[in-house]
Amino acid sequence: MSVSDIVTASGVRLRLEDVGKTFQMGEVSVEVLRHITFDVHPGELLVMVGPSGSGKTTLLNIMGGLDSPTVGSVRYGDQDLTTATSRELTRYRRESVGFVFQFYNLVSNLTARENVLVATEISRRPMAVDEVLRLVGLEERMNHFPSQLSGGEQQRVAIARALAKNPELLLCDEPTGALDYETGKHVLRLLVDLKNTLGKTILIITHNTAIAPIAERVIRLRSGEIHEMHDNPRPQPPEDVSW
Amino acid sequence: MVSVLDRKLLREVRSSGALLLAITSIIAVGVMCFIYMRTAYYNLSLAKFRYYNQCRMADFWIELKKAPLSDVEPLASLPGVTAIRPRIQFFATVDLERVPAPLNGLVLSLPDAREPIINDIVIESGGYFTDRRGEEVIVNSAFARRHRIRPGQTIHLLLNNRRQELQVVGTAISSEFVYLVAPGSIAPDPEHFGVFYIKRSYAEEVFDFDGATNQIVGQLDPAHRQQPGEILRRMEAMLAPYGVATSYGLRTQASNQFLSDEIRGLGVFSTIMPAIFLAVAALVLNVLMVRLIDQQRVVIGTFKAIGYSDAQIFLHYTKFAMALGLFAALVGLGLGYAMSHLVTSIYKRFYEFPNLETEIFPGTYAGGVAVALGCALVGSLQGARVALRLNPAEAMRQKPPVQGGAIWLEHFPALWGRLNFGWRLVLRGVFRNRLRSAVGVFATAMGAGLLMCGFILVSAIAYLISFQFELVTRSDVDLRFKDERGASALLEAASLPGVEWAEPQFDVGCTFIHGPHRRRGAISGVLPDARLTTPRDIDGRRIRIPQSGLAMSRKMAQILDVSPGDEITVLPTRGLREELRVPVAELSDSYIGLAVYADIGYLSRLIGEELVLTGVQLAVDPDPLPRASLYRELKQLPAVQSINIRADVIHNLETIVETQRIFIGFVVLFAGVIFFSSLLNSSLIGLAERRREVATLRVLGYNEWQVGGLFLRESLVINSLGTLVGLPLGYSMALVLSTVYDTEMFRFPLTSPPWVWFGTVGMGIVFALAAHAVVQRTINRLDWLDASKTKE
Repeated sequence: MSVSDIVTASGVRLRLEDVGKTFQMGEVSVEVLRHITFDVHPGELLVMVGPSGSGKTTLLNIMGGLDSPTVGSVRYGDQDLTTATSRELTRYRRESVGFVFQFYNLVSNLTARENVLVATEISRRPMAVDEVLRLVGLEERMNHFPSQLSGGEQQRVAIARALAKNPELLLCDEPTGALDYETGKHVLRLLVDLKNTLGKTILIITHNTAIAPIAERVIRLRSGEIHEMHDNPRPQPPEDVSW
Repeated sequence: MVSVLDRKLLREVRSSGALLLAITSIIAVGVMCFIYMRTAYYNLSLAKFRYYNQCRMADFWIELKKAPLSDVEPLASLPGVTAIRPRIQFFATVDLERVPAPLNGLVLSLPDAREPIINDIVIESGGYFTDRRGEEVIVNSAFARRHRIRPGQTIHLLLNNRRQELQVVGTAISSEFVYLVAPGSIAPDPEHFGVFYIKRSYAEEVFDFDGATNQIVGQLDPAHRQQPGEILRRMEAMLAPYGVATSYGLRTQASNQFLSDEIRGLGVFSTIMPAIFLAVAALVLNVLMVRLIDQQRVVIGTFKAIGYSDAQIFLHYTKFAMALGLFAALVGLGLGYAMSHLVTSIYKRFYEFPNLETEIFPGTYAGGVAVALGCALVGSLQGARVALRLNPAEAMRQKPPVQGGAIWLEHFPALWGRLNFGWRLVLRGVFRNRLRSAVGVFATAMGAGLLMCGFILVSAIAYLISFQFELVTRSDVDLRFKDERGASALLEAASLPGVEWAEPQFDVGCTFIHGPHRRRGAISGVLPDARLTTPRDIDGRRIRIPQSGLAMSRKMAQILDVSPGDEITVLPTRGLREELRVPVAELSDSYIGLAVYADIGYLSRLIGEELVLTGVQLAVDPDPLPRASLYRELKQLPAVQSINIRADVIHNLETIVETQRIFIGFVVLFAGVIFFSSLLNSSLIGLAERRREVATLRVLGYNEWQVGGLFLRESLVINSLGTLVGLPLGYSMALVLSTVYDTEMFRFPLTSPPWVWFGTVGMGIVFALAAHAVVQRTINRLDWLDASKTKE
């Protein structure tokens, strides 16, 4: 399947209702998230900002089906993720979501191309691996191992891996966190382009408030709660933001 | 097509380096032991089965003085008896021109013309008897090979006091002499003992046995084969007038018993040895896998985030272990195949089969692969289960710091306070990584146990030889007479050239009965103050020959269930042949046979005979010249059934010890594999876990040897704990072995001189140092600046 075939994204609707998460650490309970309610609309670019410890990653994990909330519900389309079985959650992660991690999480003894293949081999409707790598600008470096790639290139591989399964939702955890300024901006540009050209729904979580202006909608988290949520009718191109 | 995950797997296996070597070598040795021991087991079992069928192996033997054939024939019609063959059997002195000392031979009659018979022979060179002459002989192959005797040559045998020249027509083997040992011996000695088959008609003529027999071999129907006792007693009763000396079934026939014990031992070992190695391998692999999963938790979390199912991840990691297992199995199969050939060649030195070859049993090889994969699977299960249970979100979070509480030693401040920083680090490392340390201790305990057990076996054989042939039997030459002789024979023997001292011996074959227990055996009558036969207790102290009653070997006492002071019934095969009540006065210890001693005068009176001799024991001048003239005289001496020269017996046993050493050498090597691999595995994993700690120490100014020293100390602590467990474990293994091999013919002494203990500890340290050399090399090559930046 070519990239152009899947430009029209199907309706994505992730709905979180009164989600809360408490971790039990020995005898101490730590409430990391509480009363989180919001929707993710199809094809939007959503940035969630908050300081360290505000619960961003936990929320992302819950949205991606990697973790489950202690209270509340998470629905993806008609599917209730909070009551889904392990098998259903695996299918959700396999078909509907792509993850991009701060430290890329590439498998060190697989080449860039093989790291992408890891995702396509289990996907029902994958994109062509070489085309995805071309899309992220890595067609020349696809046979290099992660240790032979720069941080920016590794993050591009990670994005290609997330994208190659052809998911409807891309969840990016601090995608620029480990990158230098210029490389970080290039990665943001790539994500914006993917949204624009492929119609993907993209959710970025970051502690870097300077990134927020590129989003169509911004959610600010503080101490596990939504402190503020607002639409941004005129998102700025990544080239114009600075930090 | 190879999937990406499989590619990852292959690269991981390849990059495991020394760790891979460690695990695979333990599994490979386990598989190798399985293959070669099982192969040897099946080879010997099959060879025995085929050979016994081919030669129509007898189920029983009856030896008697002399009986007419007509009175023996009715035995064949007894219920349970399917066939009998009466034959003529005599011991003879063999005179080979090239050999200075007289040799012993067993002469057996065969039909003049070839026909299917019980205890048939398999001709290996030349042919069967011809019609051309009576004086033809077929020589057993091992003796012929050793003395380069070929068909067409002539040899001289002293038959019925006459020196006979016989033409060799062939060489042959027979299933009743697969393991050919001279009476009273425990090892084949083709140099000094052979079997000589002659024509029945010639035997009748030369031994004056026309129409008579002195040995009956026969076969039983399957229902009676396992329990021939009842039938044998009936036949003995029928043959009573002809002086039955002994009767026995196949189970207690010397060759069969040695062979069967060996096969039984192989059956036991082929289970125990691989089990030890595979258990160690599974545990070591378990440590490795748990570590690997821990190291790859982010990868696992990522795979789960991408959408890999738990089953796919579980399969991926078990596949990693299975790949190791398969590789090790293939190495093990190759080694096992090579070892099988080596073992067969060693067996060929002791066992005479028509064609003992190393057959390949596909089932065994498949079994070897299966046990290796099974071991790998078991070893990987815990790790793979951890991977399975790992919550993906959890997996990608930073791992909480390892709990660093105080270890139990720290509760003893007086002790802990004295330890320097290095020792504290080492001891904390050992006691905090409990699973890894426990596996290390277990593996080194097994390694030390094997070493200890192997060393005990070496020392046992040496002790056995010195106990039996330096303490108990001290004569240089033993002569056994064909028939009993008067006291003058002692004087004649004493006057032979080179003889310094001679003592009489009077052996009486008898049946010992105590309650429900019966055993055939013999009482050796010796002088009460004999110098050349001195029974001993287990500590080597001399046992007094009682003035009345018997000094019985502990094994015989066990069989009869008697203690000193008990009275038993003795039914002698000579003299008045009446049932006698005799007290057991003393117990002696011996490692060969079932000796029972009595005062020679007491024994003669007991059976109602005059003082007669069945043999003499001689102490001989060690100088070669008088010895040579003694041997010349002995070759000509009539009325002698056998001549045993102690130096030859010891020399022969020492040759066997040499072979034993090859096996023990392998055991030491195998134990080394366990030691080396488990310590290497433990240290390398420790090093991988503590790269940052190592880097920090290097930044602080420690050199690579000081850092290596910490790891060496950790290895030595584990090694010492393991050895501490392994020493008694090895002793217990030897104890079990001594029970398994506690037979009527042979037992091995459980001795553990200091060198056994020190040798085990010393070898353990050598293996630990060898493993450390690899670790030290890794430390020397470590890029510690990079390691200090490692994200934990």
